[in-house]
Amino acid sequence: MSKEEVVIRIGGAAGEGVQSAGSVVAKSFSRTGLSVMTYNYYQDIVRGGQSWYQVRASHNKVRSQGDGLDVLIALNMDALVRHTNPEINEGGASPLSGIAIFDTSLTGYKKQDKVIYCPVPLSEIAGKHSKVSLVKNTVAIGAAMASIGMSFDVVADVIRDQFGGKGEVAEQNVSAAKEGYDYFTQNFKKLDKSLNFTNKKKYLLGGGEAVGLGAVNGGLRMYIGYPMTPASSALHYISSHAKDFNLFVKVPEDEISAINMAIGANYAGLRAMTGSSGGGFSLMVEALGMAGMLEIPLVVYEAQRSGPSTGLPTKTEQGDLNLVLGASQGDFPRIVLAPRNVYDTFLLTREAMNLAEKYQTPVIVMSDLYLAEHLETVDKFDFNFKIDHGLRAQDNMKNYKRYEYTESGISPRAIPGQPGLMHNEDSDEHSESGDVVSDAETDPKLRIAIMEKRMRKLNSYIKEMPPTDTYRLDDAEYAIVQWGSTQGVVEEAVDILRNKGIKAGVIEINRVFPLNPDIAGLLKNRKKIVVVENNFTGQFNRLLKSEFLVSTSLIRKFDGEAFYPGALAEELEQEIKR
Amino acid sequence: MVTVADFNGTVKPDWCPACGNFAQLSAIKAVLAELGIEPHNTVVVSGIGCSSNLPEFIKAYGFHGLHGRALPVASAVKWANPKLTVIAYGGDGDGFFEGTQHFYHTAKRNVDITYIVSDNQIFGLTTGQASPTSEIGFKSKTTPYGNIEEPTNPLTFGLAAGATFVARGFSGDPKHLNEIIKRGIQHRGFSFIDVMSPCVTFNKLNTYDYFRKRVYKYEAKDLTDFSAAYKISQEWGDKIPIGIFYEKTERSYIDMDPVASQTPMIDIEPVKLNEKLVEEFL
Repeated sequence: MSKEEVVIRIGGAAGEGVQSAGSVVAKSFSRTGLSVMTYNYYQDIVRGGQSWYQVRASHNKVRSQGDGLDVLIALNMDALVRHTNPEINEGGASPLSGIAIFDTSLTGYKKQDKVIYCPVPLSEIAGKHSKVSLVKNTVAIGAAMASIGMSFDVVADVIRDQFGGKGEVAEQNVSAAKEGYDYFTQNFKKLDKSLNFTNKKKYLLGGGEAVGLGAVNGGLRMYIGYPMTPASSALHYISSHAKDFNLFVKVPEDEISAINMAIGANYAGLRAMTGSSGGGFSLMVEALGMAGMLEIPLVVYEAQRSGPSTGLPTKTEQGDLNLVLGASQGDFPRIVLAPRNVYDTFLLTREAMNLAEKYQTPVIVMSDLYLAEHLETVDKFDFNFKIDHGLRAQDNMKNYKRYEYTESGISPRAIPGQPGLMHNEDSDEHSESGDVVSDAETDPKLRIAIMEKRMRKLNSYIKEMPPTDTYRLDDAEYAIVQWGSTQGVVEEAVDILRNKGIKAGVIEINRVFPLNPDIAGLLKNRKKIVVVENNFTGQFNRLLKSEFLVSTSLIRKFDGEAFYPGALAEELEQEIKR
Repeated sequence: MVTVADFNGTVKPDWCPACGNFAQLSAIKAVLAELGIEPHNTVVVSGIGCSSNLPEFIKAYGFHGLHGRALPVASAVKWANPKLTVIAYGGDGDGFFEGTQHFYHTAKRNVDITYIVSDNQIFGLTTGQASPTSEIGFKSKTTPYGNIEEPTNPLTFGLAAGATFVARGFSGDPKHLNEIIKRGIQHRGFSFIDVMSPCVTFNKLNTYDYFRKRVYKYEAKDLTDFSAAYKISQEWGDKIPIGIFYEKTERSYIDMDPVASQTPMIDIEPVKLNEKLVEEFL
């Protein structure tokens, strides 16, 4: 593995502090200027089972959880055996080829060739500093950070922050970590790594938090959501900052209420959004169409997890695309965005707030568990953003028509409270002025006119779409098409192919619907087009083929885990050579 | 000066002649005018059903949404802009079948809106099926052998859910109905008014005559007496009480919200993000 990057994994049972130890490691790296990405493997339980947390860091840009494993902190025997066994390959994760740190009490394991066993008396050291048994994790973190040559001061600061300042508990943990750090240094040899640590701190956050930040930057005033993994990380972040961001936050009785509330608030002129995973989104479906029919702005955050039904609640998938594209009866304009990474999540959620109001229609921001729950570094936030409330009617406007036919399809919106613009917004089909035409007075000509008016908004949006992003595509013989969260892994896989002399490049789709017509040009004259996605049936592949009439090959993964660059590169190579 | 005519819509109601909904439409318009609430500050939200067509027939901000979903929309409109007078309106199928969960939770939250249900004990728009308030033995297209399910008691349910204003009106007594709706709109908190509203086309049992023989005006000795309210809510049969059963002043939902209790949400400027607000990620 490259000397310029490091992968550390903490393995243990749920309740053993795996995640909290992992976040200390991750933060130590982001504070020393490294690019970081974490990966969280866990189950839908509070205690027991097997979970692990992986941190990859480098002074070069890290784009995925990566292949390889340099340092393992094994919090129990199962973790030690599991992550060192070259036969075991959980969802694509690499077995250890490097240092294993574990308590000296663990003995009798089968030794593996590529593992340097570094037993540390974790519990014994912890006992000297604190009565809390989880402090042994802190000792292990100290040892692990010594093994890769990180300065202890950085680790100490992160631990203090984790335990809320300079109190007794924090200092106990710092001294325990220091002893673990020193123990490793005195007894073992550190890894041969050349990481450029600096004092340029980077931001470290997850996709859920990026949704919250993006929405707030985009003028969010109200968030209504119902808890469901993996959409809850956004709900938690937003809830905990309601006062800082002046937000009205509510968890109502169900997702049906949540979306109807978000629609009600937007109708009243307040930027509101809702969010859920596929199960909750399924409940929102009827109201989504109402927002389309009434032409009320609405942003919905849809964080996918493995389905169908309750599925794998703590596992990732991109299996909700058909649901999102087809949600609700009839045809109405909708915009579907699928951010590719954490910062893209921030940017696109923010943009979604404007798009919804500009086009007065639902905008769905699709993420997934992989993107919503891993942490990623961000160098800098650009908060410079202009809020666009779209076309609004002036008070007491003469002959006001809520759904006035316009070339763009966008009609002036009136907000309750504005004098002289009273009208009815109706889920029944209606005329320009909002009067119902669905029953006795059904008029085919009028129906055609109002349908075409609404649908014209999509054409207007397509005209303002930015060009589709690509990666190493210019001279590529093989176009790899990805959408949403798989960006980093696919780019790294393509780098591997390029190093082997295979001319591959990536077409990156973060605007899933409508698709940018410029994709047609990007697909042209390739020897092969390969679509990569995290689902069973190739939902995006079908969309791409039907829109651009191209023939493609498909690489899928639906085991609940994300793609890994090395394994994906192998699959791509096979597919390309077939 | 606001007049009833200010609320006259341009669309003629599509209800059957003598439908109980007419009395409620008139009452709502009369009360709003009497209270000096202007049409542009009035929002009427409904679900789906014959009665739910009402927003089309009143000049105000109307929102004719989805079956059973008037209350979440109405709640959020009020939370967004508390200066608006928000009325949620619908039928018994809309409110006590499809929207039951919203009825319960909106009452419990004490959202400051008025919820008027035109209760005709049948589905009218879908041409005559038993509804949640249809009586035992009631014959309809879907209950040809007679309804076998115990009807919902909306007033008991509203009280149990925590509504702070619970009343029953009768479309056959418009003057009394006006008074109840007026008190409901004036009440700060969740007002629930169940209006017995004969369906002249599909319900041949619960007719104007049926109610005229049975209704009497109930006057509570103490409107805050929950036990008395519960007891009177249980009365149904040869005698049917109409009037205000319960009223209690409590803080409404928005009064408790850490942000919205300070300033109306619609008047709060969005926060400008800066580096300080993302410091926690460093």
